[in-house]
Amino acid sequence: MFDSSILLLLIGLPLFGILVLFFIPDTKPDLQKNIGLITSLLTFLLSLKLWLQFDLSTPKYQFIDKFFSVPYSNMHVYVGVDGISLFFLLLTTFLIPVCLLASWDSIKINIREYSIAFLFLEAVLICVFTVLDVLFFYIFFEAVLIPMFLIIGIWGSRERKIRAAYQFFVYTLIGSVLMLLAIMYIYFQTGTTDVQVLTTVAFDYNVQIILWLAFFASLAVKIPMVPAHIWLPEAHSEAPTAGSVILAGVLLKMGGYGFLRFSIPMFPDASIYFTPLVYTLSVIAVIYTSLTTLRQVDMKRIIAYSSVAHMGFVTIGMFSLNIQGIEGSMLLMLSHGIVSSALFLCVGVIYDRHKTRIIKYYSGLTVKMPLFSMIFLFFILANMGFPGTSSFVSEFLVLVGAFKSNVFVTTLAATGVIWGAGYSIWLYNRVAFGNIRTSHITAFHDLDRREFMVFLPCIILVFVMGIYPEIFLNAMHVSITHLIEQVQ
Amino acid sequence: MDFLIFFDNDFKVVMPELYLFFAILILLSYGVVYSTSRIFNYPILQVNVGWLTVLTLTVSLFLLLSTPLTNVSVFNDLLIIDPFSNFIKILIVASSLCCILMSNSYLEYKLINSFEYFILILFAILGMLCLVSSNDLLALYMSIELMSLSFYILAAYKRNSEFSGEAGLKYFILGAFSSGLLLFGMSLVYGFTGLTNFEELSKVLTGIHSLSDTVAYNGILLGILFISVSLLFKVAAAPFHMWSPDVYEGAPTPVTAFFSIVPKIAVLALFLRLFYSTFYDFIGFWQPIFLYCGILSMLVGSIGALYQKKLKRLMAYSGIANVGYMLAGIGAGTVESVHGFIFFLVIYVVMNIGFFSFILGSFREKDSTLNIQLADLVNLGKTNPALGFTITFILFSMVGIPPFAGFFGKFYLFAAMIQSELYAVAIIGIFSSVVAAFYYVRIVKIMFFEVSPNYTSYKRMDLFNSLILASSLFFLIFLFAYPHPLLACIHKISLGFIL
Repeated sequence: MFDSSILLLLIGLPLFGILVLFFIPDTKPDLQKNIGLITSLLTFLLSLKLWLQFDLSTPKYQFIDKFFSVPYSNMHVYVGVDGISLFFLLLTTFLIPVCLLASWDSIKINIREYSIAFLFLEAVLICVFTVLDVLFFYIFFEAVLIPMFLIIGIWGSRERKIRAAYQFFVYTLIGSVLMLLAIMYIYFQTGTTDVQVLTTVAFDYNVQIILWLAFFASLAVKIPMVPAHIWLPEAHSEAPTAGSVILAGVLLKMGGYGFLRFSIPMFPDASIYFTPLVYTLSVIAVIYTSLTTLRQVDMKRIIAYSSVAHMGFVTIGMFSLNIQGIEGSMLLMLSHGIVSSALFLCVGVIYDRHKTRIIKYYSGLTVKMPLFSMIFLFFILANMGFPGTSSFVSEFLVLVGAFKSNVFVTTLAATGVIWGAGYSIWLYNRVAFGNIRTSHITAFHDLDRREFMVFLPCIILVFVMGIYPEIFLNAMHVSITHLIEQVQ
Repeated sequence: MDFLIFFDNDFKVVMPELYLFFAILILLSYGVVYSTSRIFNYPILQVNVGWLTVLTLTVSLFLLLSTPLTNVSVFNDLLIIDPFSNFIKILIVASSLCCILMSNSYLEYKLINSFEYFILILFAILGMLCLVSSNDLLALYMSIELMSLSFYILAAYKRNSEFSGEAGLKYFILGAFSSGLLLFGMSLVYGFTGLTNFEELSKVLTGIHSLSDTVAYNGILLGILFISVSLLFKVAAAPFHMWSPDVYEGAPTPVTAFFSIVPKIAVLALFLRLFYSTFYDFIGFWQPIFLYCGILSMLVGSIGALYQKKLKRLMAYSGIANVGYMLAGIGAGTVESVHGFIFFLVIYVVMNIGFFSFILGSFREKDSTLNIQLADLVNLGKTNPALGFTITFILFSMVGIPPFAGFFGKFYLFAAMIQSELYAVAIIGIFSSVVAAFYYVRIVKIMFFEVSPNYTSYKRMDLFNSLILASSLFFLIFLFAYPHPLLACIHKISLGFIL
């Protein structure tokens, strides 16, 4: 029915939900939560329609529609999806209802503003992943900061939340202003900011190097790569459960998307030139952050650091610049989006009950919370890269791709799998197995139906991705092949 | 009677200024005569003259909007009326109208009972209107003096506060000093060229570089240096910014609002006219001045505000930083830079109007004093969340976060700088913008995130303040969606100005 403008409908639906939410009074908190959830579920169903009608045989952008035009300048903003952005879009629309459902009981103040913040975040994220214009990608990339800042600051868990919100905000801002200057330079040199045109422009080699570095400054903070990763553990551990879920699940992927959509196609020579830099930083990320998790006492921080390690793998895969590597990194981003989010949800389950995330208070949870322990185990194994789950497939593809390009880096990265196993199993051991520790906690309650429903789709997806990833890789093949051809 | 026929058409064109002038005289005489009359029992004509002032400004706004002619120079080339000056005049009158409406409740609570406040503001506005359309160095000087003298008195308006008197005195001494420099510069230019008219100066000064070894050339350069330094004093650019935090803090708050919004418009528009049409051939000379002052202002404004605990001083430093961006934009020297500068100016004015309407509307419940400390904003997110969110959005716009209007202003300005290949300036500008984010976001933090048992309960904001606050917020949020009319207007003006 709305075939050609389905993307605009997708962007408009959460905004319509926000409008409806404004009129619901605070005497009906359940209605507020329900409207938020229903809107996000409708958006998810609509995005599934995108996937069903996706044409697998062409690398061109599909469902293109005109968003708007800036007067007096040559900026006509279109929205469209291709194989790369389709899955990020689906991940976003899948995770937002999960977030809203997961925070059903734990958010007690300003429920309406919470749903509004998440719906606004969803609309902006959909714009980020579908807009085909460099300047407006930047605008929506930055616009994500506002709702996240408010979510971490207002509904966060502890006193450090202010510092975490600040760090998140300022780190990302510093990195991205350099990208703004690069975009302005591109606009004045080429006269356009349209991605479809810019991928055909050949910049001069030295100019490419500087522009790539400017883009890298911003995307490296977002992904995050090692020297600029400090905001991530702070932001993750202080954010509310759903905030961490969406942060780990989608916001980190914006950096990866930026690399795939802008850095690599527009600056291919610079990408090849800087591959050793990216490899070095990624390997350091994998090994250093995996070892750092061994010292942590806060469960969320462990998972946050493991996110950095996984994103290190992602960047290794992306810059191997062959089809296995890039497909592996895309699938790893999807898989990590679901697995990390589910791990944060698990920690959120415990936090909701006992209000602490410190490991020493927990032990032997299997005795009293068997269902929870089983689900936790499943996701810990997925985090580790256990065969049968999606991360095994993706990490394997990444390592195969990287092996073709650089053996030493692959060896070091492969040790990352060992470290991953180390901290994941140790975390699970301390928390779930062993004797039940009743010195601090005396009452236990297993998962209730809502929480189980939150986990169920994640489990199914991880399983399906692990056993038959071709369903997901199908749509990516052509786009990624096209991307690699542009580099070659 | 011959002279009336001589300037016949000219009077029609300067109708707004003329109307304003006569209205001031009538209001002044009305105020003096009736407030000293024993028969009416010495009435206090404060509110009366206030509303008459609002009427006057509204009528002048209508007169400005319906100017019959464009691009004329009147009174023997003393003043020039063109679309650029018209736009700036509309901006000045509209923003001063907002300032007066915002200050209503302040005057009521503080029991300031003299009507001269409004007369002084009207004189200042008249000075600024003439300043923007001045086409001659003498007109420039007289308009600046008219504007500045009114400001000196306004800064010292609270007679029982020594703080205010000190502010007025500081402003007067520094302002008089800078006017002296201005006069010296102008006399040098006149002495070495024999002309005071801008248009004739620009004609004479074309191709002046062939005479670059003569005394005359260097004399003119010295004159331009003095003129630009003096004007930079007036607009509070670093390194000539020392007076502005003290004066802003000491002056009564509505006067501070007026200072930080309106004279900057007038003097920066004057910069544009003076340096883009008259002294454009000396661009190699004044461009580094503006760029260095711009960079220094950005840095001083961003870093200086980090330690401030009082709202008015914070706004003074933020004004310095914004002036820095605008100066660096003017320094770029192209049509796009004029375009970006005017766009940023309009958005800067709206943001400041919004923020000051918030400050001027928050009176403490218990003793009706104005809020001046930053720490008094604590827990505003809980006591008045609507107000808290409004200020949050205005502050985010000031930082320059998309999709608010502040981002687009900065974007156009920095885009113009990049187009003129001033990469270093753009990088410094952008980093100082990030440093400035700290103190703007700190206000948001204090309002929403700080856990403190204190809170200040404020009186309900009066009608005009809330209307102005809401309108500015609306503009800032939704400029993203429909910038067409503003952009069309500015585009036409900047092209018409340059060509």
